[in-house]
Amino acid sequence: MKIVVAYKWAANPQDAEVGPDGTVDWSRAKGAVSEYDPVAFELARQLADTCGGEVVGLTVGAASIDSPLARKAALSRGLDSLVMVADDALLGAGSTRLAAVLAGAIRAMGDVDVVIAGESSVDVGDRQVAMTLAGQLGWPGLNSVRSVALDGGEVVVEREVAGGVETLAVQGPVVLAATADAALPRVPGMKEILGAAKKPVQLVDLGSLDLPEAPAGLAPVATSRPDSGNRQGVMFDAADLPAAAAQLTAALRQSGVL
Amino acid sequence: MNVSPQAWIVVADDASISGLLEAARPLATTVVALVVGRRSVADAVAASGVDRVVWFGEPSDGTPVEAYAPAVGRAIAAAAPRVVIGPATDAGRVLLGGVAAATQAVVLVGVTSLSLDGDQVVVERAVNGGIALRTDRVVAGTAVVALTSGSAVPSGAPVAVEETDPGALLGVRVTARRVSERVGVDLGSAKTVVGIGRGLKARDDLALLEDLAQAAGGELACSRPLAEGVDWLAKERYIGISGQTITPDLYLAIGISGQIQHMVGVREAKTIVAVNSDPKAPVFRECDFGIVGDLYSVVPALAAAFRSARS
Ligand SMILES: Cc1cc2nc3c(=O)[nH]c(=O)nc-3n(C[C@H](O)[C@H](O)[C@H](O)COP(=O)(O)OP(=O)(O)OC[C@H]3O[C@@H](n4cnc5c(N)ncnc54)[C@H](O)[C@@H]3O)c2cc1C
Ligand SMILES: Nc1ncnc2c1ncn2[C@@H]1O[C@H](COP(=O)(O)O)[C@@H](O)[C@H]1O
Repeated sequence: MKIVVAYKWAANPQDAEVGPDGTVDWSRAKGAVSEYDPVAFELARQLADTCGGEVVGLTVGAASIDSPLARKAALSRGLDSLVMVADDALLGAGSTRLAAVLAGAIRAMGDVDVVIAGESSVDVGDRQVAMTLAGQLGWPGLNSVRSVALDGGEVVVEREVAGGVETLAVQGPVVLAATADAALPRVPGMKEILGAAKKPVQLVDLGSLDLPEAPAGLAPVATSRPDSGNRQGVMFDAADLPAAAAQLTAALRQSGVL
Repeated sequence: MNVSPQAWIVVADDASISGLLEAARPLATTVVALVVGRRSVADAVAASGVDRVVWFGEPSDGTPVEAYAPAVGRAIAAAAPRVVIGPATDAGRVLLGGVAAATQAVVLVGVTSLSLDGDQVVVERAVNGGIALRTDRVVAGTAVVALTSGSAVPSGAPVAVEETDPGALLGVRVTARRVSERVGVDLGSAKTVVGIGRGLKARDDLALLEDLAQAAGGELACSRPLAEGVDWLAKERYIGISGQTITPDLYLAIGISGQIQHMVGVREAKTIVAVNSDPKAPVFRECDFGIVGDLYSVVPALAAAFRSARS
């Protein structure tokens, strides 16, 4: 079977600078495999190892998602090969556009049985790209997936729902988003990192994909910085703990919260 | 594409839609609920004050909500409403993904306010994990919005439930369901919340924090890694962008670094206290009161002080 891992090369907002006007400067934030996507790599590898099959990594975005470091980081995580659509036309693309490009690339690959995504991306975190991708492909999409297996032609999925766990059987291809703790991702060792260099990478030209028309959608109005509450930032000295604790409770009393 | 001055609410087999309704009403002259799921849900929605209910019929046994995603997409594309609002839940995101695919509109997530300017929808939302807010105007097509769904709506005079054929469904069915025992936690209404993070070294040490929560008269909560991954506390207890958002009078962040994804969940707390052994921890930039120190000695001292202050 052919398993695709949709993963993002993204920076952590913790490392971005937010201006007083709410503009976000990413120039000092470094890209990496998005925080929860290694879980998807691990689920995909386990599925391929138990059912036989190949694991193809797929990522789309601006030209900067493709670098020797970025290729190695993905290919050392249990992939057999990697497909990228790296084009600055995708700079700042929204979830629907990204999903359309992912869908185009998946259609072009052909014969894909399962797409596994992470729970949410570190930089955007909308938890939407994978489920819009399911919509674009016309395949079922399932969130909060804990496990995936193959049982005679059907994909069997366990997912978390309010109050428990459900097992589902899917006929035909499916898009799954893993919960953040569905699997413990392996840390790539020297062997995997060296092996990464030998694995095939295919760069797909954005223009070659059959895509729906890009939505005109949104016009920006304003940006702002969220109110961090103007916190007081009063520090108490821990050298004398009982005194510090008493000062704290007195201060809380005074603020009326105790 | 010309849109109609309607708001459509996508219901994913759950009639607790107060949040969706409140957001929809000011945006449109007519509010239509598109109900995926059981007849009982459609009936409850019909009595919630919407103008029309369109229902896809009783799902056959084991058919999950997700099987209807293309049907929802088709219905919305045909109606071309000004705005579509669905629940920001696992199933809601799948249905809205169907809408996005059918309309090529982007799903707007993290929305903090919705308004109407002329006949265009204006959306403010938190972006990039909550580090910034941005406002956009939907200048073409349907605005597709995911929102926290809220609670049940008090019932009034019902409108008719119009049953419509969903057409082809996707080939997915539920074959088994396992109920897990759940602890009822109500962090939402707690006045005081004690949050613990990875500064905690062992599960057994939670007793220290339970004692502090008790001394402070509050509920125990945590950062995400303590609920997922190590599983020391129930998932319902973690706070942040992917977990609970809380609004207590007092939040104590103990052994929590204060990453943005966590702090977004406590922004509305009246007072924040931070305890961390690292003076450079980001949490100290967002607290009202802070103590730099080892939680293993600070927490017992705090518990004692809370006990004497509250007695
Ligand atoms: C898309 C996405 C969504 C996320 N959603 C959430 C979310 O909803 N909620 C959430 O919490 N996180 C979320 N995270 C994770 C988040 O980024 C952080 O990784 C997480 O909040 C860190 O938890 P922590 O502060 O407990 O651990 P750490 O960051 O490891 O911090 C532990 C802290 O404990 C301190 N410490 C260590 N020993 C002691 C001691 N003896 N005494 C006192 N202090 C000590 C350390 O100095 C450190 O500051 C999300 C991440 C992503 C990418
Ligand atoms: N540009 C992208 N390329 C490939 N996969 C992506 C991309 N963006 C998001 N994904 C996948 O979709 C998941 C959810 O992303 P998001 O909707 O941004 O929270 C991520 O964890 C990835 O698995």
